Amino acid sequence: MILQCTGVVKEFPGLRALDDVAFELRHGEVHALVGQNGAGKSTLVKILTGVYTLDAGEIVLDGRRIEIRSPTDAETHGIAIVHQDQHLVPQFDVTRNAFLGRELVNATGMLDFDAMRTATRAALDRIGADFSPDHLAADLSVGQREQVAIAAALLQEPRVLILDEPTASLSDREIDKLFDVVENLRSGGVSIIYISHHLNEVFRVSSRITVLRDGNVAGRLDTDETDRESIVRLTVGRDLKSLYPKEPVEAGEELLVVEHLSDGHRFEDVSFRVKRGEIYGLAGLVGAGRTEIALSIIGARGLREGRISLAGRAVRNVSPARARDHGFALIPEDRRGEGLIGPLSVRKNLAIPNLSWWSRAGLMSLRKEAERVTQLISRLAIAATSPEQPAETLSGGNQQKVVIGKWLDGQSEVFLFDEPTTGVDVGAKVEIYKEMIRLARSGAAIVFISSDLEELVGMCDRVGVVARGRLEKEIGRADLDLQTLLYWTTAGTRATGPTPAAEVPAAAHPAEEVPSSTLVRPDESVARPARMSPTRFLIRWGTSLGMILSILAMGIGAPDFFRPSNLLEILKQGSILTLIGYGQTLVLIAGGFDMSAGALAQLTSNFAAGMVGRIGTALSFALGGVVGAVVGLVNAFLVIVFRMPPFIATLGMMFVLTGGMLAYNGGQALTLHDLPGFFFFGQGYLGPVPFVVVLLALILALLHLILKRTRPGLRMYAVGESLPAARLRGISQARALVYGFVGAGLVVGLTGVLQTSYSYGASAVPTGLDFMISALAAAFLGSTFSRTGELDVVGTTIAAMFITSLSNGLILNGVSNLALPAIQGGILVVSVLLSVIQKRDIGQINIF
Amino acid sequence: MVLVLLAFEVLRPIYLSPANLLSVATQSTILIVMAVGLMLTMSMRGVDLSVAQVADASGLLAAALIVAGQPLWLAFVAPVAFGLVTGTINAVLMAYLGVPAIIGTLGMMFAVRGGELIFSHGAQPQILFTLPPSITDVFFFIGRGRILGVPASIVLVLLLMGLVILLVDRSALGRRMEAVGGNARAAFLAGVNMRATFGWGFVLSGVLAAIAGIILVSRAGIAAPRGAEVYLLDSFVSVFLGTVLSPRSNFTVLGTIGGALFVSLLGNGLTLLGLGASVKYLVYGTAILAAIAVNRLRSA
Repeated sequence: MILQCTGVVKEFPGLRALDDVAFELRHGEVHALVGQNGAGKSTLVKILTGVYTLDAGEIVLDGRRIEIRSPTDAETHGIAIVHQDQHLVPQFDVTRNAFLGRELVNATGMLDFDAMRTATRAALDRIGADFSPDHLAADLSVGQREQVAIAAALLQEPRVLILDEPTASLSDREIDKLFDVVENLRSGGVSIIYISHHLNEVFRVSSRITVLRDGNVAGRLDTDETDRESIVRLTVGRDLKSLYPKEPVEAGEELLVVEHLSDGHRFEDVSFRVKRGEIYGLAGLVGAGRTEIALSIIGARGLREGRISLAGRAVRNVSPARARDHGFALIPEDRRGEGLIGPLSVRKNLAIPNLSWWSRAGLMSLRKEAERVTQLISRLAIAATSPEQPAETLSGGNQQKVVIGKWLDGQSEVFLFDEPTTGVDVGAKVEIYKEMIRLARSGAAIVFISSDLEELVGMCDRVGVVARGRLEKEIGRADLDLQTLLYWTTAGTRATGPTPAAEVPAAAHPAEEVPSSTLVRPDESVARPARMSPTRFLIRWGTSLGMILSILAMGIGAPDFFRPSNLLEILKQGSILTLIGYGQTLVLIAGGFDMSAGALAQLTSNFAAGMVGRIGTALSFALGGVVGAVVGLVNAFLVIVFRMPPFIATLGMMFVLTGGMLAYNGGQALTLHDLPGFFFFGQGYLGPVPFVVVLLALILALLHLILKRTRPGLRMYAVGESLPAARLRGISQARALVYGFVGAGLVVGLTGVLQTSYSYGASAVPTGLDFMISALAAAFLGSTFSRTGELDVVGTTIAAMFITSLSNGLILNGVSNLALPAIQGGILVVSVLLSVIQKRDIGQINIF
Repeated sequence: MVLVLLAFEVLRPIYLSPANLLSVATQSTILIVMAVGLMLTMSMRGVDLSVAQVADASGLLAAALIVAGQPLWLAFVAPVAFGLVTGTINAVLMAYLGVPAIIGTLGMMFAVRGGELIFSHGAQPQILFTLPPSITDVFFFIGRGRILGVPASIVLVLLLMGLVILLVDRSALGRRMEAVGGNARAAFLAGVNMRATFGWGFVLSGVLAAIAGIILVSRAGIAAPRGAEVYLLDSFVSVFLGTVLSPRSNFTVLGTIGGALFVSLLGNGLTLLGLGASVKYLVYGTAILAAIAVNRLRSA
């Protein structure tokens, strides 16, 4: 016996998730953990992996009682988990992903990529993976990502490995391979806890099965001595018919007819019909494609094929607005994220779909609205203190009633309920069921999507079972019971399964979906470059091509442009901008944003101009660096401790710094002369090469080394590019932000001093904002060079030099420098447009 | 905030005299119109960094048309049409193409600035006050005239703000804007045309900025290119301070007006005390940081 849990209790407010649970795992066995949603499986796993701590009970590992208080504790005890959602950093290769959070460093403190690559290759070989450690995670199929996650778990040399729904997104071939891997590990002495809804898999792979039900152990059986039916009986185990207020409603004409619906990747050839008065269930496992079907029916997702008709008339729902006009209503799965408009009042939430009906000439009739809202609140028994209460402050059940209530105006006829009762207390559940019955009786057609099979059996007239994007089976009322439904939803009819995951574009996986509003981040869902279409080619290489063409054009127009002395001059002119761009890049890499960079450079520039005569060159630079680092630290403090959006915190900082600058120089420009030693930094030459360019090259090399070859650099990227992945590996976001802000402050502070040396003094005109904006443009433009849109200092350098050469070249070509701002603005928009145009979001920014 | 204002009064008793207050109110009209436009985009989690530049260009356009002897009505219509066009381009970029608002409107700001510089041959001002009064009288009325003893610009802005409040509080569009700001995805699934609604914010903001530009030139009698750019930061500060003034820390028209009045009073007070830009920036910075910190503490 390797692992033994006894008397485990875990309570949440109002819910005893685990009640005196015992679990044991023998050395070298595969032990399956099954149960319905909410039975307690994930709670138990989270206790074992240190996400939750238990309220009572004990865990014994190898005969010794252990405490697991954090994910790190679990790791040191040799317990590793492969999560259901593969959170990998798409822009990292397999090696970096596998070692993220546990990186190996060599004697010099640099990341030891050779050792890590070798270990990763060994782990990949062990599980028979067919890709190399150098592949980017973004290029891997869903199944291959799963393998990366398993390899990462193996690198910890675990003694207990937990696989949580490992096959949820795998193709048959990948599943076979996974089972080989599991068998290999088991015979190699690893003990495995296998969690799955698919009973056929459980029977194939496990030697024992523990069934959880309502937070209790319903049974523990040897796999060889039991069968599917017994397990299903244990999983269900009770009669709950009484909970469901189902009444027979006489079905009317066929209202909703869905024929051969396909969207090209998540579901295929889905057809069903719902009559007036009918409740039609859609059963299936999470991720089977039910939610996508509902979204496509109301026009929130695209359809490739298929027909939807309403009362015999074909309808084309091109948008949810059109669907609403046709009488469709969706109660979405994610109540907080997609259903409720949290900050708005109950009244405003209830009125949202009907605004145009309650208003004349664009103005709303508040009286009519108030009447309807009062009716709805009492009809659904919504417990709100007043209609003006913000909806997000209601309890879960009442929130759901509000989401449902907004469609109960008599205009909707087709209701799509997607998991309407998750996270809702029993009382509210019954209210929701009653409302469904009431709607059915009034002649509506209802589609009821649920993973809670009991409620489907309790409420539906017919149920369609969706598996892997296909409607596999339709069960009529007469045959509808829990056993049958459970049998079909877990049958795993793989033989006929349609889409091997390998053909699914990576972007289709839900874990990949970019939140609808993001602060400008590089495109995360990079599709695989199997065959590059002309559009894709343009998106990938368009920026570089455009740059080369514009430089060539400038060179042809003015041959002087290409003279070596002019090129060196451009490098010199662009140095300061590039350096401030580095600061901006550092902050952006860690997922922040810095409005104050330009103002900071100007402040330290003025300090240097005012003091260099007295304190000397070395101390001036030291002062600039210290001031910069302190400002960066304050920025980080504001962002982390006050949870201020970086944009605002640094905007405030920008004002403070500008004010400080003006207070220091009294509004007068400071000019310097006769300081050859100091001026050498900005204006000196080493042979033909400007010294400032040499400095730039040194700083570039140093920053590049830090970002790409050290642990803090790697972790900054991880935090900025995929925060969930970083969190799962125990990486601190706060620390990455501190590195980013302080690093940026240091670089920018020094740059200010350098600028004073470059321009023989300091300006008193607040130009910080303009400088900041050009630097930002350079950082973004630079990120379009890499295939994954990764920000890095090399790209920033090229982009900043391009921007500089543009003004240089245009002036050489006789273009007035008056046109420069317009050209700069154009470049900025176009460079970003290239990377966002495919996402089809609106340009909201989560920074206020 | 009240304390700061009272401190000014103690230091300079003229500060809260009716004459000074009225002059500050008149000055603040430009900022109010611009800041409210910015607020409309920010209430939907957007931002419009081009407001000040659009106001600048609109004023320049109006002045240039008058100097060129064009009919007077054109000096009103053309700038507003210009604001409408830039606002619409912004709307297409942000709402339909998905460019992050902070980048897209920044690009618009630069584009407009470049256009202005080319048009004005390197920021040469268009001078109106040297023209014969017969030409400029009507145009100057907005900025300098009085209706029943009240400055015309105040009357105009009160009317405009009345319209904006009607739009925000009572119209279906205003409700949709609130919904998109609260949860764009949920609004979309409930049948709100998310793109059109988001886009309207930029269009309104462009038009309001253009009107602000006309008021500015009408009062100053001169259109100096890039002269209105300082209003961008002032607008930002007004909007953020406005969230502190509103009961639930959200973006409101009245809050923003209050914020803009405070910013104007602050500027006036600092001028009366003979304090320069450095103190202004320091106060702005601390005010923004304090405003957000207070909001965070309130919500925690």
